[in-house]
Amino acid sequence: FSSSLTMARRYDSSTTTFSPEGRLHQVEYAIEAINNAGTCVGILGNDGIVMASERRITSGLLAPAKTSEKTYKLCPHAACNVAGLTADANILIDQARLRAGRYHYQYQEPIPVEQLVEHVCNYKQSYTQYGGLRPFGVAFLFAGYDENHGFQLYQSDPSGNYSGWKATVIGANNQAGKSLLKSEYGSSSSSEMTDEEETSPDVAGALRLAVKVLNKTMDGTAAAAEKMELFTMKLDESGDVVHHILTQKEAQAVIDEVEAETASAGDS
Amino acid sequence: MSILEYNGAAMIAMAGKDCVGIAADRRLGIQAQTVSTDFTKVFKMNDTIHVGLGGLATDVQTLHNILKFRMGLYELREEREMTPQVFSHLLSTLLYEKRFGPYFVEPIVAGLDAKTNKPFLSSMDLIGAPVQTKDFVVSGTCTGNLYGMCETLYKPDLEPDALFETLAQALLASVDRDALSGWGGVVHIITKDGVTTRELKGRQD
Repeated sequence: FSSSLTMARRYDSSTTTFSPEGRLHQVEYAIEAINNAGTCVGILGNDGIVMASERRITSGLLAPAKTSEKTYKLCPHAACNVAGLTADANILIDQARLRAGRYHYQYQEPIPVEQLVEHVCNYKQSYTQYGGLRPFGVAFLFAGYDENHGFQLYQSDPSGNYSGWKATVIGANNQAGKSLLKSEYGSSSSSEMTDEEETSPDVAGALRLAVKVLNKTMDGTAAAAEKMELFTMKLDESGDVVHHILTQKEAQAVIDEVEAETASAGDS
Repeated sequence: MSILEYNGAAMIAMAGKDCVGIAADRRLGIQAQTVSTDFTKVFKMNDTIHVGLGGLATDVQTLHNILKFRMGLYELREEREMTPQVFSHLLSTLLYEKRFGPYFVEPIVAGLDAKTNKPFLSSMDLIGAPVQTKDFVVSGTCTGNLYGMCETLYKPDLEPDALFETLAQALLASVDRDALSGWGGVVHIITKDGVTTRELKGRQD
């Protein structure tokens, strides 16, 4: 497939070559690969972060995953969600874990979240400039907490570019998800606070919003707890970061709440 | 002067009935001069593993940080806790990797198997030669004293409180005849219900 009307093919082969329009086609193709992957939503709440992903079950014969295929812990205070080629992601996740561990070994302090993200992204970037190797076909949502900046949510793509978000979507139908977030994030329905210009939701509200987004992006398939993976990151009473993947029961409870909300919304 | 005797240490780990105890002195010295009386040499690695690191103080602290790093990686990748046997082996290979420029530490490992609650004890030399025993392991600058006291006082299948007494008496008596160890002690008793830590007050000399 060609990504523009001109003959992009001539400039496809080497990742290290710009096209005449100033594009890196290999990087763009990698981003395309991710748009076919299971959706991931990330939402920054005022007391934590929610990451929700679509579990794609490609065959009934597949052994049930012992652990997550979407959510990975990187260190005690950071985790990530993956959209794209899992094999590529595994390499990068290990890189991130090593980096976080080495930083802690050197400074006896947890690595600031942005530094961890930047390290992974620099690694991804080098595959767009050196060696003639293909880029990683992975996009990440990073969720983390540090003392200086509190809870943070970052998104990264195969180019090695990253940005911080209040809420974002990656993977299949991410545009639909993003437009829903634009209208719903910060509105009073997802927060228990009174009307303000834009308020961030609490984790419970963020969970409901995330499920709503997944419902939209998984359009056509019925929302069910086995098809979604809901992850939260919060602080416990002693100030330690807690990673939690919701159980089937807990996830179903959130889905039911959302269903009730949308059902009653139609009544007015 | 041996580099392993530069800072001074005394430690014992002992097995009881479905429990283990590990004890160490508190002295940090620079040869004859005592510099600290609350130096930590026994470290909790997780709910079921404690490691005692005796020897050159800088290597004690470095090795502890390296072990924390390696355990952290293991838990992230395997999504489960390390068992005492695996930890002991990791420590052994870590030390041997520095075969011709070793860490000057002779560690002891005390753990409880999470499923069976059976005690696990091991000790090794500075290049990682491991030894696993059912009764007790010792390390430090007064191992002769420690072996003598343990051999005399040890009985199999002691309950946690009796194990504590045995460990405390064995340690205190041993360090009193060693100039380089002592200045207090700490004893950890590990059972399936948790860890109890007690400080010992002995001769402060």
